Amino acid sequence: MNKYLLAAGAFLVLGTNAAFAHITLETQEAAVGSTYKAVLRVPHGCDGKATTAVRVQIPEGVIAVKPMPKPGWTLQTKKGKYDKSYQLYGQAVTDGVKEVDWSGGNLPDEFYDEFVFRATLTADLPVGQKLYFPVVQECDGAADRWIEIPAAGQDEDALENPAPGIKLLPKK
Amino acid sequence: MSAISSLYMVASTGKSLGRIAAGLLTLTMALIVMASANQAFAHAALINTDPTDGAVLAQAPAQFSLTFSEPVSPLVLTLVKPDGTPVALTSFRLTDQTVEIDNPQALKSGTHVLSWRVISADGHPVGGSLLFSIGAPSEPPAVSEAVDWPLRSAIWIGKVFLYIGLFLGAGGAFALAWLAGDGRAGQRFVTAAILCGLVAAALSLGFQGLDALGAPLSHLVQPVIWRTGFGTSFGWTVLVALIALGLGLLSLAGPRIAARPLALAGLAGIGVALAASGHASAAEPQWLTRPMVFVHGVGIAFWTGALVPLGLALKRQTADAVTVLRRFSSAIMPVVAVLAVAGVVLAAIQVQTPSALVSTAYGRLLLVKLALLVFLFTLAAVNRWKLTASAEAGSTEVQRRLTRSISVEMLIVLAIFGVAAGWRFTPPPRALAIAAAQPVSVHIHALQAMADLSITPGHAGPVAASMIIMTGDFGPLDAKEVTLVLSKPDSGIEPLKRAATKPGDGSWRVDNLVIPVPGRWTVRIDILVSDFEMVKIEAPVDIRP
Repeated sequence: MNKYLLAAGAFLVLGTNAAFAHITLETQEAAVGSTYKAVLRVPHGCDGKATTAVRVQIPEGVIAVKPMPKPGWTLQTKKGKYDKSYQLYGQAVTDGVKEVDWSGGNLPDEFYDEFVFRATLTADLPVGQKLYFPVVQECDGAADRWIEIPAAGQDEDALENPAPGIKLLPKK
Repeated sequence: MSAISSLYMVASTGKSLGRIAAGLLTLTMALIVMASANQAFAHAALINTDPTDGAVLAQAPAQFSLTFSEPVSPLVLTLVKPDGTPVALTSFRLTDQTVEIDNPQALKSGTHVLSWRVISADGHPVGGSLLFSIGAPSEPPAVSEAVDWPLRSAIWIGKVFLYIGLFLGAGGAFALAWLAGDGRAGQRFVTAAILCGLVAAALSLGFQGLDALGAPLSHLVQPVIWRTGFGTSFGWTVLVALIALGLGLLSLAGPRIAARPLALAGLAGIGVALAASGHASAAEPQWLTRPMVFVHGVGIAFWTGALVPLGLALKRQTADAVTVLRRFSSAIMPVVAVLAVAGVVLAAIQVQTPSALVSTAYGRLLLVKLALLVFLFTLAAVNRWKLTASAEAGSTEVQRRLTRSISVEMLIVLAIFGVAAGWRFTPPPRALAIAAAQPVSVHIHALQAMADLSITPGHAGPVAASMIIMTGDFGPLDAKEVTLVLSKPDSGIEPLKRAATKPGDGSWRVDNLVIPVPGRWTVRIDILVSDFEMVKIEAPVDIRP
């Protein structure tokens, strides 16, 4: 029993450590064909500087994106054409939000904040694989780019600036 | 050495110095004109290859290319197949500093060796090989890089006898014509030395051809060997040396009236022959080095050429012995002074840093030569200031001592010739430094992007890196940011990460980079293609010490 507790404790400590180093998503897995609430956790600024903007790229296959406004931050979206057409409540959708920007804010390095949007994960997304949401964190005159996606066979932990991602589960 | 040379300077008599200096100056001016027409040359260094060393290719390339630090001409290009069979590559083109070689046949999978041997402008062949694999690497085929000691010995002996012929032979003929009276003691020795030199000069050309083509001694009779030998800059040395030796011989055998001009022309020929090729003549700045080699060679010929006739005249107590001694001793000091100055200048150019005296083979040979010179100059100084006055006054006892001393001088001179001939096999520190300072270039190719990276200089220490970034299919790539990351996991040094700047000429640069240790580094280039897309490409790069 103690062994399990220890192992669980170690997992928790290591898990939280890893999570605190990078920008990550709160919910790390979701089923395809469902609505997903993405909570981007921003644990620190860029090398000690206060965060002034958070921009997230919406990957192909994620539609009906609705970001949550944030007091003190200007919310903008960039729209564009999708690679293909998706069905949403019986209607064909060919374009929508490709990027969400929260800018003009000020999040000091010593504080923590979250940035939220809601989106639909289409049923065409590959189950069992990971889906990445590349994020650019801008600070005053500097930027951290959480945009690295591991190549096939590459260990995600080896990346310096991994993009936050979720594991795609089968449709419920 | 410099102390002695300055002693000579102080002691030198103005009149003869003026005469000789005027003569040397005229010849030097002629040489400067000759030299300035030539391009500047050093040892060629290989700076880039395609395929790169160690590359694994999906299929056989249609052609290979080798890029050098200066124009070269290929002598032998061989492709060794995985089973060890060599294929001679005969179809190649030269464009600037690049040799493009056609691949004559389809290659099977496995590791191949491209062995190259080219000649650079100083007349010395350089060679090397690169490995590449088709499909997957296999056990590399054996390529022999062993030193051909019989050939090396032959080249060395040939060089020593060429020196004997030029300095003791043609130089001796000058001494007989200008210093000796009617006695002509030593004429047989001088004639023999010239004949030795003629044979050695001719044979050396063949040896040079063998060395250039990497062929063994047994191939000496093949015409291509001689053509190749003559095609190198050493061909000029041999040609002029043969003329100088011939002039020396004519001055001995021809009419008395023509002896002096012929011998003088022969003496100048010695200098020109030596200035035509070799490490020292190829060094920068050419306007200085070639005349210095000329002056050095003429000085040696004047001094050492006179030793045998002088020694024999004293030994045999010939009627003109005292005349020879007087003429020699009045002229020798300015000559040795000029000779020593030229030698010091050339050594300084070649060795560059005092530490290279110990750390390179070239420097160690120079130290041996300097040690021998200390003995030689000591003896010469004793002869000149202790013995000459009494010997000129006619003291036979002192004349005998002087004869013995001169024969010891001769032995030391021969030893110095042996050491100097050894330089044929040691690249000077100057050339080593130039080779080390060449940039290291690497072409990194990935599907999404590629880069041409060059690190200048290509050795450990402060360097600058320059990168040209392109898309995977050679299109322009307007990157937002480029970061250079150098890592050497086995060294325990944390990766060096530097953001590159755009100087505006389409390249990306990283200045003020310090590569702390030599060896194989992994270079990674992080290319920010768009806000959310980063391409990372990497390749190994070898940093020279």
